[in-house]
Amino acid sequence: MAIDRRLLFNIDWGFLAAALILLGIGVATILSATFAGRNHGLEIKQLYAIALGLVGMLVIVSLDYRRLVDRAPVLYLAALAVLVYVLVLGPRIANTRRWFMGPGGFQVQPSEFAKLVAALLVAKLFAEAKKETLGLFDILVPGAAVGVLVVLIAAEPDLGTAFTLVPLFLTVGFLAGLRVRAILGVFLVMLMVGSLGWMFVLKDYQKSRIYTFLDPNLDPRGAGYQKIQSEIAVGSGGVVGKGYKNGTQAQLGYLPARHTDFIFSVLAEENGFVGVVAVLGLYMFILWRAFETAQMARDRVGAFLAAGIAAIFSFQVVYNVAMVAGLVPVKGLPLPLMSYGGSSVLSSLFAVGLILNVRMRRFAN
Amino acid sequence: MRIYEDLRTVQRRVGVVQAVVALAVALLVVYFWHLQVIRGKYFRELAENNRIRAVAIPAPRGPLFDRKGRILAENRSSFNVVVTTERKDDLGGALQRLSRLIAFDPAEVRERLNTQGPRFRSVVVKADASDQDVATIEARRLEEPEASVDVVPLRSYPLGMGLAHSLGYVGEISDRQVESGAFPGLEPGSTVGQAGVELQYNNELMGRDGLRRIVVNSRGVEVTEAQRVAPVDGPPATLTIDLDLQAAVMEAMAGKSGSVVALDPSNGEVLAYLSTPAFDPNSFSAGIKSAEWADLLKDPEKPLLNRPIQGGYAPGSTFKILDALAALQERVITPQTRFHCPGYLSVYNTVFRCHKESGHGTVDMTQAIALSCNVYFYNVGMRLEIERLSKYAHMLGLAQLTGIDLPHEIPGVFQDPEWKMRTQKARWFPAETVSVAIGQAMSVTPLQLLRVAAAVANGGRLVTPHLTREVGGRTVAAPAPRDLGFRPDVIAAVRDAMISVVNEGTGQRAKLEGVLVAGKTGSAQVVTHARLETNKSAREYQPHGWFLCFAPADHPKLAMVVMVEHGTAGGTSAAPVAGQILARYFGVPAIGPGMNPPPDNPPVEPSPQPLRAQGAHEAPAVAQQD
Repeated sequence: MAIDRRLLFNIDWGFLAAALILLGIGVATILSATFAGRNHGLEIKQLYAIALGLVGMLVIVSLDYRRLVDRAPVLYLAALAVLVYVLVLGPRIANTRRWFMGPGGFQVQPSEFAKLVAALLVAKLFAEAKKETLGLFDILVPGAAVGVLVVLIAAEPDLGTAFTLVPLFLTVGFLAGLRVRAILGVFLVMLMVGSLGWMFVLKDYQKSRIYTFLDPNLDPRGAGYQKIQSEIAVGSGGVVGKGYKNGTQAQLGYLPARHTDFIFSVLAEENGFVGVVAVLGLYMFILWRAFETAQMARDRVGAFLAAGIAAIFSFQVVYNVAMVAGLVPVKGLPLPLMSYGGSSVLSSLFAVGLILNVRMRRFAN
Repeated sequence: MRIYEDLRTVQRRVGVVQAVVALAVALLVVYFWHLQVIRGKYFRELAENNRIRAVAIPAPRGPLFDRKGRILAENRSSFNVVVTTERKDDLGGALQRLSRLIAFDPAEVRERLNTQGPRFRSVVVKADASDQDVATIEARRLEEPEASVDVVPLRSYPLGMGLAHSLGYVGEISDRQVESGAFPGLEPGSTVGQAGVELQYNNELMGRDGLRRIVVNSRGVEVTEAQRVAPVDGPPATLTIDLDLQAAVMEAMAGKSGSVVALDPSNGEVLAYLSTPAFDPNSFSAGIKSAEWADLLKDPEKPLLNRPIQGGYAPGSTFKILDALAALQERVITPQTRFHCPGYLSVYNTVFRCHKESGHGTVDMTQAIALSCNVYFYNVGMRLEIERLSKYAHMLGLAQLTGIDLPHEIPGVFQDPEWKMRTQKARWFPAETVSVAIGQAMSVTPLQLLRVAAAVANGGRLVTPHLTREVGGRTVAAPAPRDLGFRPDVIAAVRDAMISVVNEGTGQRAKLEGVLVAGKTGSAQVVTHARLETNKSAREYQPHGWFLCFAPADHPKLAMVVMVEHGTAGGTSAAPVAGQILARYFGVPAIGPGMNPPPDNPPVEPSPQPLRAQGAHEAPAVAQQD
């Protein structure tokens, strides 16, 4: 597999460097969050995942994104099959069926990869609709395709990841010419589905999380606990933080899921506002470049793909950081690149690969 | 040929999305500024509170000593197995696992937790654990981080049941006590005195708990100690109890129910105090098991009843001391005044019988007291009349609190016209005065009667009994004995009569060699005579036996009340107990009939006449037996 040498000149090295720096900060923070407890050694596992992810990223970069988009339907069907398999036969872990058990106890979370498949498929479907403006009727097919994924992932249940597909769909739809009126229509439909879901689908623990988000003191030791403790961790970090490995909230175990979904909370406690601004700056840089890639893309498919992935990324970063600050209800949503988790790291690096891919091929045939 | 699509709309719209995202991130930065910089101090305090816990270090209670400095109550180190966790949900599993390691009832712990409310931090799963339990828990520090072992001072009473009712016992403050403010300033979990001296002087004995500020992790498990304030030990207290005398009392009362209290008649210091049957105060120290507590409450022998100050009994013939004091002081008789006893007295159309069917013949006051002649005192009672009997009864402290430094004393009841009008809205009948004269129609405590004996012993002064001399180096001031204004000849006459009770009368079994004892027997009927006839051998129908005494009679060092429940006549049940105690106390042999006389001096006196009750249909007073 030969890469056109000219393409290498067009790689966005700044973008890649920022992603690697965030991965590194993530590993260091995971180390701080876990070195004292029974989870120690996770940073090594994370490094393995990063190495594997970089290999995967290279593979993705070497393939023309248009060929990948062409294969989207096949990938989509494969994703459906795995998601159904996990839902029916997957192991029950913490009362959910999110995991695919590979050989040797190797666990994979298929929903992480389904996100990228959805981005490819949405880019393909919208790019084929060659119209200036799209109405509700025009998005029926891509809507249904994404909807099936959302339902399957939400049923695991993994509401956070399922919800990530909504900004993807809306962003790409918007770029493809979806009328603002139609977007409002989509919101209306989602509101209806959401209220039906509240009544018939949401589990009690999910409802109580939403209730306690609205009033955490309803249950300060139960469902409101994570929000309160995370807020305390972040707030007590102050301007410069308590110092690396010195966050009391993190080190004494008050923070739940501190090496996964709440990794940013550890960072904020130990490195303070200064650390927060630095890391958010890096994320902003990456997101900015990703959207820039969408603007530079040589075709609609590339623009939609880059923008879709940027939308997924943006949503995850903004939601996760807002959750850590206590602004939105707690959802199991990792912070891309920083949170501990093999599937999340691989999927984030594949996404980075796709963005690089679109950008480096902006001039080529 | 390369076809460039028109991407201007797309690019414009990407710009919109990009701007929205940039705005969102900017807003996040602003919010973090608010959270971390503006409200940083507030959250830092919350984080501190999160990790610092204040834990009390219980102060050992002050030890209790007898009048000669011997230990009555002390503290020993004991181990409590404690489970600490931040969240109640985590507890079930920990309790299950621990119950497999050491023996305790998880259901019982959970029950206690439910009553403990939301203040939960830690719970004692096993108090006073064995060394083996402690080793088991310590060996599993890593597997069971919630479980820990606290060393706590545990109250211990070497004499056990012997001083249960005077010293009392300690226990954890109850929720009701916290709410009612019975112990101001104390938190749940504190150990407080729940009865006796422990309760009466709780504030003084408690000392001040210390404090540990510890850093805990999110499971509430201690990581390090941040600060330690040492506890201030409770100061020691010296009681008036004489351990030697107390031991003699316990031995003499072994197997019997009733009360014995001995005090120094010159100042009211209580030298011995026994209420039996009793409970073991040690079993309360580490928290009594609910089944054990239920058994104590249900026991028909009422081991929780503090008989000397809570038992109300008719004084029976011991009341004749009071008759004599009143009649002599009021000059309605002299010691030489004689009445004839034919075995009964018929007044107000009622026949009142003496316990001696054939009668005592013509007797003077001394003989009447020595033989406990009822007819003599029927006559005395009629001369005094109820108003004066009531006046002297109250003057000598009957049906009133004695003021002893013990909680939960009852006053008792003395029936007189005023009382009858108030409670029954009925007029007093003169015949009732006759019953009062022989100690019926009233309910008094053994300690109240003891004050009467002490007043005779000390020349007519009413003492306030008290158990505590000194707490924490400070003398506990008891009210000085109050002079009641009796003429010396009155006191001397009654004392002489009481001496003849022991020397020739109904109380001969309390006689000592070389020490002159003054006393008075009595028996308090518990059922009507007719009822007694139905089952003469039933223990619970037998009257209570009384013996009031002081010795040496000429310069008394000790006054004592002995009351043996269902012991029948006082002369045969209570007097020998008193004799045994006094013999031990004064170190001389008891020489009363049947009292293990010294071999060189066998008893020649026959025992007093068997005292038999007469069938009496009209008046219950006839059931008096001595």
